[in-house]
Amino acid sequence: MRLGIVRGHITLTPAVESFNSRTLAILEPVTMENLRAKNGQGGGKALIAIDELGAATGQMVAFTEGREASNPFYPTPVPVDAYLALIVDSVDIVQQIF
Amino acid sequence: MFLARIEGTVVATARHSSLQGCRFLVARRLELDGAAAAEPNVIVDWMGAALGSIVMVSTDGDIARERFGNNTPARMVVAGLVDSVQQPPAEGSAA
Repeated sequence: MRLGIVRGHITLTPAVESFNSRTLAILEPVTMENLRAKNGQGGGKALIAIDELGAATGQMVAFTEGREASNPFYPTPVPVDAYLALIVDSVDIVQQIF
Repeated sequence: MFLARIEGTVVATARHSSLQGCRFLVARRLELDGAAAAEPNVIVDWMGAALGSIVMVSTDGDIARERFGNNTPARMVVAGLVDSVQQPPAEGSAA
């Protein structure tokens, strides 16, 4: 999984059937530098993920990519390649690497 | 699979139902020369990896599916804690 910040949501009309009534979130992945600085910035290339948890704009989340992103819909095959799996409350980073 | 250094922990109350009770860590993938990737990964750990330690991460979801069920979105898991890494000195290095 990677960390990302929700930057918005998308509605599709029309959409392929499996995306009907799904929430799609725009995510900006967070780099280690920005995570350490806690500056609320991302720095990665934006992508779209399916959201079943209801993350709000500005919240930090963790998302899975690849085949595992469609596992929550198993055994239905869905064309999902990013799935929002956690809404992050806080991240504790070790300040010094020993 | 790759080596990664544990640099933090993630607290998340709202999570996919298959991941209740899981421990999530912030890890950075390591290169041959020890450099860490710019983007961190969130990985699942049930081996008790310490902050600052090196682990081997598997990106195959099968380990997670075996443990958390077929519906789990988890993919990157700690496959083992690294005891030691044997590596010849880099070419051109003084050592």
